[in-house]
Amino acid sequence: MAPGGSAHVNAEWEKGMVPFRAFPGWRFHCQSLNLILKKAVWWYVTTILEDAKIYSSHAKKSSVDADDVRLAIQCRTDQSFTSPPPRDFLLDIARQKNQTPLPLIKPYSGPRLPPDRYCLTAPNYRLKSLQKKVSSSAGRITVPRLSVGAVSSRPSTPTLGTPSAQTVSVSTKVGTPVSLTGQRFTVQIPSSQATVKSATPTTPTVQNVLINPSLIGPKNILITTNMVSSQNTSSESNPLKRKHEDDDDYDNL
Amino acid sequence: MAALPEEPAEVVAVKPDPDAGTPPQQPPPPAWGRPRAARPRAGQPTGAESGERCQSGGCFPQTCAPSPLMAAQDAEGFLCVLHLSRGRVSHCAFASSFRLAYKLLLYGNTFAVGGGVVVEDQPDVSAVLSAYNQQGDPTLYEEYYSGLKHFIECSLDCHRAELSQLFYPLFVHMYLELVYNQHESEAKSFFERFHGDQECYYQDDLRVLSSLTKKEHMKGNETMLDFRTSKFVLRISRDSYQLLKRHLQEKQNNQIWNIVQEHLYIDIFDGMPRSKQQIDAMVGSLAGEAKREANKAKVFFGLLKEPEFDVPLDDEDDEGENEEGKPKKKKPKKDSVGSKSKKQDPNAPPQNRIPLPELKDSDKLDKIMNVKEAARRVRLGPDCLPSICFYTFLNAYQGLTAVDITDDSSMIVGGFADSTVRVWSVTPKKLRSVKTAADLSLIDKESDDVLERIMDEKTASELKILYGHSGPVYGTSFSPDRNYLLSCSEDGTVRLWSLQTFTCLVGYKGHNYPVWDTQFSPYGYYFVSGGHDRVARLWATDHYQPLRIFAGHLADVTCTRFHPNSNYIATGSADRTVRLWDVLNGNCVRIFTGHKGPIHSLAFSPNGRFLATGATDGRVLLWDIGHGLMVGELKGHTDTIYALRFSRDGEILASGSMDNTVRLWDAVKAFEDLETDDFTTATGHINLPENSQDLLLGTYMTKSTPVVHLHFTRRNLLLAAGAYSSQ
Repeated sequence: MAPGGSAHVNAEWEKGMVPFRAFPGWRFHCQSLNLILKKAVWWYVTTILEDAKIYSSHAKKSSVDADDVRLAIQCRTDQSFTSPPPRDFLLDIARQKNQTPLPLIKPYSGPRLPPDRYCLTAPNYRLKSLQKKVSSSAGRITVPRLSVGAVSSRPSTPTLGTPSAQTVSVSTKVGTPVSLTGQRFTVQIPSSQATVKSATPTTPTVQNVLINPSLIGPKNILITTNMVSSQNTSSESNPLKRKHEDDDDYDNL
Repeated sequence: MAALPEEPAEVVAVKPDPDAGTPPQQPPPPAWGRPRAARPRAGQPTGAESGERCQSGGCFPQTCAPSPLMAAQDAEGFLCVLHLSRGRVSHCAFASSFRLAYKLLLYGNTFAVGGGVVVEDQPDVSAVLSAYNQQGDPTLYEEYYSGLKHFIECSLDCHRAELSQLFYPLFVHMYLELVYNQHESEAKSFFERFHGDQECYYQDDLRVLSSLTKKEHMKGNETMLDFRTSKFVLRISRDSYQLLKRHLQEKQNNQIWNIVQEHLYIDIFDGMPRSKQQIDAMVGSLAGEAKREANKAKVFFGLLKEPEFDVPLDDEDDEGENEEGKPKKKKPKKDSVGSKSKKQDPNAPPQNRIPLPELKDSDKLDKIMNVKEAARRVRLGPDCLPSICFYTFLNAYQGLTAVDITDDSSMIVGGFADSTVRVWSVTPKKLRSVKTAADLSLIDKESDDVLERIMDEKTASELKILYGHSGPVYGTSFSPDRNYLLSCSEDGTVRLWSLQTFTCLVGYKGHNYPVWDTQFSPYGYYFVSGGHDRVARLWATDHYQPLRIFAGHLADVTCTRFHPNSNYIATGSADRTVRLWDVLNGNCVRIFTGHKGPIHSLAFSPNGRFLATGATDGRVLLWDIGHGLMVGELKGHTDTIYALRFSRDGEILASGSMDNTVRLWDAVKAFEDLETDDFTTATGHINLPENSQDLLLGTYMTKSTPVVHLHFTRRNLLLAAGAYSSQ
């Protein structure tokens, strides 16, 4: 029997749970714990034995022996069953981290979220492009074939931008993270993809935008993109891309 | 001042005794020249009486089993989920304690390396453990221990209670030494002989210890390593200490004296030796008690001043509350809360001690609403108990793991074991999300009800489900402005959700192990999380890395709470201590020991002076933060206390527990007449009156629904929440 067992149990074991060897005399007072325990034990033993079989066949031995089992256990332990860092290490990093003073809070900055790349608010869907206009500057056109079949309707709004002061249409009473400008979203096109100069900015031609299923809410939002040449997208001013005046990086915290 | 001065003990490399392996032909004459028959220790009657005594001492009767189940079995290679039990596995009803059971099953702090595989040590681990090198003949360990036992039993009554504190740490360290040096049979017989003499509240630890029989078992066990490196703190009066020292030093082989010097920290105080009752109240944690200087730092426990603003009167205000306004002339009522005292409270932190976000207009509106509600608040007391409204989660199938309610009681969130987070609206007003960007451009932005217009009515529903976590959600917390929701989960992340769009905004990755609890600061912007990696972290919503790391606990951090002034964080842990941390510099300013089980609930009193803690031992302990003392003990619950909450003005303390009850305690009475004379504060000893019965105002039972969360509304109605479990 393949160590399929219960997917639930497997998933947990993959995450590195406590391994143990079955002890025949042990019983919990509650049925479901007994069952989980039995399943987990069985799955652990089976995994180890299968690994041992692989090792022994790799070493061209005729049968599995204790050394193979030991090796299998050791490999599994190193890989899955990690324990939290030791105390002195924790005290050390705590001392380091606690030395820096608490950063001051910028006033009136709207929703206080980390830089965009540390958030989960970016679009990660891509729709199949409908127009195949050839761009004169681009050498190759790779029309993305990725079609998001599951989504028939339009994707929901992904980019959340801090509206700059002048584009805020609602007073700062509301600290909503959603951009309230009615402008079209300009999506940054990564330079690896080819671009298509869209002649009609009004048609919902979406390109190179990825889907994030978790962001597909009950209401989908139309995204219109203005196709721009992708070569210099880095400085593309996306009014909706939240910028922090200071560095985007907190790496030297 | 560092968190706790922890110097690893000197590594003493002693050559193993070459004769250690072979049993000596003739046992050497016993050091004390008396028969070594075990005598019941006076003051510690065995058997049935110990059960009763333990009950009066407040520990759970089930833990007084005469022999741990494991010890009777052949412990060869069996390390099971018992190691994970910082609770009581034998008693654990899985249905009623899903969170605990999950922890038991999945996250232990040890594992077996079966079959005798020797994993290569990291150098620091072996250095740490090598201090357990052989320092004496293993067969004599029982002699040493029983000799000490005899000495202590024969000592004067007043000293006996204090010196008895030595038994447990000595027992554990001697056992670990035997195990480390691979004298399995000696270790086993040592354990068999003496484990029954230990205090009942250590039985859980002993059960874990009994399954540690090989050297390899010790290596991965973080808690054991921490136990070994951090010195076990004992507080003994000077007279008792002199007695002990004289006795140990006059013996020829001072093996025990070596252990005492290496592994124990004896905090000597001048004064009367403590009684058994006093000692029992304070011991129980994995590291002994707290050193006196650990609790001496100044703590600003006062509240921050609320800003003054005018509370506009409108027509809804009853004339009863408004003394000065006449119907014709409506003067705006000044917010009286802030203007009570112009002088700075000496115990309150300066306003700018830690940076706090400034008040937005919506926050000011909220505060005005708060003041209005406060005016209509019911004044609670022993003769006026709150009404309790219980929200039962049906069909949760033992999956409800976390609950939170907003401050204005408008929304309730449940975190579940299937990794979903579900938000319900408590009021008839449904939950709506914001309109799409295209629609938003069409609304009139200058209208007065723009906040209503941005909401999309088509998305209105009573329930919103948030998907994103990949493991059970163990903690949830609303932000004070009700814009954000935090959830922490077994997958090691803390997620920030927007309550306007009901989508996930950020995932904070720092703990790589389950995060057991999280909470927003009372002013928003900061939040704290505590997890299996034994640290609590302070985050700000706009930093993807934590701002502070609070390291010092010996076991998982199970509960984290902010102080009302947002300058301090209390953490309760599975090592049975509660620590108070300073947000400004990350120092541990208070250590409270006394619980006999992992702590699962914390509550600060609204005036910021006191802290109430609840644990698996069923006791609620009350602490004075300023002095660092235990000031009360509330006994009554028979199972883990998962919810604690003070009423809005601090008159009543409500506690909810796994035993399906909500109990109300008189907080005002509990905190009055504190003995805070100099002697008490200097030595930290307080005589706790046995007044739990007097303080108990009421016990309210549910129909087999453990209470997971308690919340007092702004008008002092008590809301409680739990999931119905049919067992």
